[in-house]
Amino acid sequence: MSMLIDIKYAFRLLFKAPKFTAMTLGVLVGGLSISLYTFSFLYTMVYKPLPIPEAQTAKAITVKFDGNYNLITGYEFSSVKESVTSFSEFGVYDNRSIRLSVEASGKDISGSYVQSGFFEFSRTKPILGRTIQTQDTQVGAAPVALISYDVWQSELNGDENVLSKSLMLNGVITDVIGVMPAGYLFPNTSKVWLPLSDSVFNTAAQLSESYHAYGRLNLDTTIEQAELELGQAINQVYQQNVKLYNLPEFEKGAKLMSFQSAQTNGQGGIVFVFLNGISWLILLLACINVGNLLLARTIERQKETAIRAALGATTARLVSQLMWEGIIISSVGGVLSLLLVGAALDYTEIAFHSWVPGGGSFWWHWGMDLETLLMGIAFIFVTILLSAFLPAWRSARQDINATLRDGTRGAQSKKAGRISRILVTSQVFLVATLMLIGSVSAYISHKFINLEMGDNYTDVMSARMTIPESKYPEPEQQLALFQLLKERMEQHPNIVGVVANDWRPQLTVTLEGRDYPSEESKPKIDTITVIGETSTVGINLVAGRQFTHLDKLGNRKTAMISQSMAKRYWPGESPLEKSFQVKIDNKNEKVFVVGVVTDRLNPSTMFSRLDSADEVYLSGLQFISSFQIVYYRILPTTQNAEEIFYQAMFDTDRSIEMTYSVQLASKNRHMMRDSMGLMSNVTFGTGFFALLLAMVGIYGLTANSVAQRTHEVGIRRAVGASDKNITQMFLKQGARQLIIGLGLAVILFALISFGFHKFTEEIFPVYLYFVIATTVVIGLSVIVMLAIFAPTKRAVKMEPSMALRYE
Amino acid sequence: MTALITLKNISKTFLTEEIETRALNTINLTINKGEYLSLSGQSGCGKSTLLSLLGLLDAPSSGHYHLAGNDVSALTRDQRAKIRSEQIGFVFQSFNLISDLTVFENVMLPLTYQSGKSKKIIEAKVDEVLAKVEMGHRKNHYPSQLSGGQQQRVAVARALVNDPAIILADEPTGNLDSKNAEAVLQLFDHLHQDGATICMVTHDPSSAKRASRCLEMFDGQLIKDNHNKQDKATIKPAELAAS
Ligand SMILES: Nc1ncnc2c1ncn2[C@@H]1O[C@H](COP(=O)(O)OP(=O)(O)O)[C@@H](O)[C@H]1O
Ligand SMILES: [Mg+2]
Repeated sequence: MSMLIDIKYAFRLLFKAPKFTAMTLGVLVGGLSISLYTFSFLYTMVYKPLPIPEAQTAKAITVKFDGNYNLITGYEFSSVKESVTSFSEFGVYDNRSIRLSVEASGKDISGSYVQSGFFEFSRTKPILGRTIQTQDTQVGAAPVALISYDVWQSELNGDENVLSKSLMLNGVITDVIGVMPAGYLFPNTSKVWLPLSDSVFNTAAQLSESYHAYGRLNLDTTIEQAELELGQAINQVYQQNVKLYNLPEFEKGAKLMSFQSAQTNGQGGIVFVFLNGISWLILLLACINVGNLLLARTIERQKETAIRAALGATTARLVSQLMWEGIIISSVGGVLSLLLVGAALDYTEIAFHSWVPGGGSFWWHWGMDLETLLMGIAFIFVTILLSAFLPAWRSARQDINATLRDGTRGAQSKKAGRISRILVTSQVFLVATLMLIGSVSAYISHKFINLEMGDNYTDVMSARMTIPESKYPEPEQQLALFQLLKERMEQHPNIVGVVANDWRPQLTVTLEGRDYPSEESKPKIDTITVIGETSTVGINLVAGRQFTHLDKLGNRKTAMISQSMAKRYWPGESPLEKSFQVKIDNKNEKVFVVGVVTDRLNPSTMFSRLDSADEVYLSGLQFISSFQIVYYRILPTTQNAEEIFYQAMFDTDRSIEMTYSVQLASKNRHMMRDSMGLMSNVTFGTGFFALLLAMVGIYGLTANSVAQRTHEVGIRRAVGASDKNITQMFLKQGARQLIIGLGLAVILFALISFGFHKFTEEIFPVYLYFVIATTVVIGLSVIVMLAIFAPTKRAVKMEPSMALRYE
Repeated sequence: MTALITLKNISKTFLTEEIETRALNTINLTINKGEYLSLSGQSGCGKSTLLSLLGLLDAPSSGHYHLAGNDVSALTRDQRAKIRSEQIGFVFQSFNLISDLTVFENVMLPLTYQSGKSKKIIEAKVDEVLAKVEMGHRKNHYPSQLSGGQQQRVAVARALVNDPAIILADEPTGNLDSKNAEAVLQLFDHLHQDGATICMVTHDPSSAKRASRCLEMFDGQLIKDNHNKQDKATIKPAELAAS
């Protein structure tokens, strides 16, 4: 009964102050929603269980090497699989993009090459047909494939006779032997499964490709035992080859993790903790603000509380009475946030799957799931504890005598005032720090998004491809294949030009006639090999000539350089026919400059070379590589542009499995820009919300401290203070907190930006940091002072005689 | 006789949630320099409201208020604040000292709102009035460290610090025991003898009698106006000799 009275009373109080209630609710809903959404989004990405039976025991197996988690090579796998006893199931697979051709066009779909036992490992049976068996992976076996439910529906119209059909996959007619159930895309996004040929395990150690490994432990084996056994076995294999092939001297080990974790290279947990940490900080900020707003209100009613206590109410009774307001606000806010987060997750589900190619991993489904709901409820309890229980408990335990005797709000309100000032200061500090760092990152994103790369990718397609060295071990064979492919493509009427590049890392360059104190002091310059004309991708000749068929093995080695490099090392003279050395595969090769081309930025080396467009181009006929990115420019209206590459490819050698993916050359760049834009929007949005939160908090805190000082204002007015005096008094106090908070943030920012400036090798001008600091300081000062000024107006407006009556 | 204050047909109505309260109803009153007025009447009859108007804490709804010859009934808020800081001294029933300020700072407050006074002059003046109320030895204490009587003496000092034309006291002894009340009343007597103009609200008939002129209010109106004894400032030497 008494509880009912308390609840009714709390509702009355909340309705009596609708603005206060709305503000408090807004702060809470914002804080709760942000942290709950962050949790749910990341949880789905990193920890959500795989939607397959016995998912708990299914492990991804990685190879620990030099601090990274790597794939296992085919050689290692075949060497250890018989001897290792820890696993009841153990296998490898490879994820590839697979070309499905339909008459003159086609599409890329993600697929996997798998061994027998793969589908059994995932404990899922096909809804039609059979799985891949050992005979399918033998050398010379008939080409077969399993397809996903989706592919069955969209490509074969759900034909019931699907098992008698075949598909053109990677240029090979392939029989469909099974259809997997809807939603099954194991291990990630696969829609087609092909046999992984046993022949890949017969290659020599140094030529062996890498594969994803999976396994299940024997019943009596622990994860540690398995990691130890497998790790030692793999390391033994590796160490045998270290000397033989001059490999880096590291120990190899094994690491078992969940499939989700393997997908993020084992880093998912750290990101999960870090981002959740930030979002919890925001929630904490929200709770503290709400708690303090409620505390200020209970202090206003302190006299009432004291009277109740004097009349015999117990502490428990008082806490309950004071708590209800907080409980009601927290619960209503919690329900609202659950609804909001549910809607946001549904939207994410739609947006994410349409934005990310392949739709992301198949267990990534966002929505109001049980974990999110439970977490939401936990958050609400924490909120109630922080924003309702603690303030109520503190208020209930006040010194009754003191309050009743002295009539004024004495020590208690003084303490609350100090807490409120500290809160204002720390919120200013937090928001200023967020805004300062956010501005720098926004500036950098903006800079990258609008960066002129110096090339021209309009109407240019790119195909990344690797020739298996097992089939074409000799460089001459590899080169011949590329040249054949290139000629075939150039015959197509819609092709304007073709160029193949291999992007080498930065190579050490030795200029003739110059002294270098050490090897380290020699310049390191981006190096790219070229087969064909660079003008295909908009890198145009400004002096000399492009490479021709004569720049081949056996002839003098030649190079083209960028204008930037020409200016830097041969200022005022022609670099043509000058020579220098490039260190390739530990050998210094002397090359002669035959051409100078326009500059381009190399986006792969991010900060370090943004200011320099130095490039060395070497002839791909002289420096041969089995990996190439083939760029080809097409006529603007060309349909099925990727098919041109595939046809030429399949005509050249349809029997080999190459890794390739064909797309618009600009696509990766657009993806990168889009995600950068998204990142900067999210950062900015979060920063903006934090700002809003802090503004509401500061407004509320100031409003309360003004309300508490109404009587004091009355006294000051009575003895002659003018409106200006009173406003100044509040602003001065606010300014002090503002200056401390901002000052601390600027000091922190100065330290961070100093480090950042060094780290980015000073590519951003120093004044940038000053401009950002000044802008943020001025902007934030104005906003904070407004948040402080607004509530003081009320105290100033009141007639002094009213203010004196105010209790 | 110089009229310090003249009220002509002053009325004050409060509007709260549709209810109109007529706190003052056509008050006519003249207060002369050096007079010591007491104002009594039932609770809620408008005494505090009248005092607020006199002290320019509030503006009348209608009527005219002349203070030292100037019409102050329609001044802006800041003009009223300026007059308060220079010409009015307040003493309240609940002392109304600011708890975060020391005794010294509380007393100094009115002077800080006046412009162009040097620190030295201000400090000298504060020390002077604190000595007058015998609180000089506690000037660095906070109000919470003082007894009620001491707090009220500090409040009186604050009311004196700006050499006001009139001291307005709203039940200054209401929260005090009889001994402390007597001390405050004696203080007022002394001030009166020194020529101060005082208007004091009180319930207590014996306190009221100490004043030179007793006003009584009922329901927003002045119903009685008795001159007890002549003010010192206006007493003729012959009469003084005769008494
Ligand atoms: N600010 C106000 N708002 C509404 N009514 C008021 C206000 N101030 C005083 N009153 C009303 O005016 C009347 C006179 O009040 P007051 O002057 O305080 O009486 P007292 O003679 O007890 O000092 C009372 O009825 C009171 O309720
Ligand atoms: Mg009164």
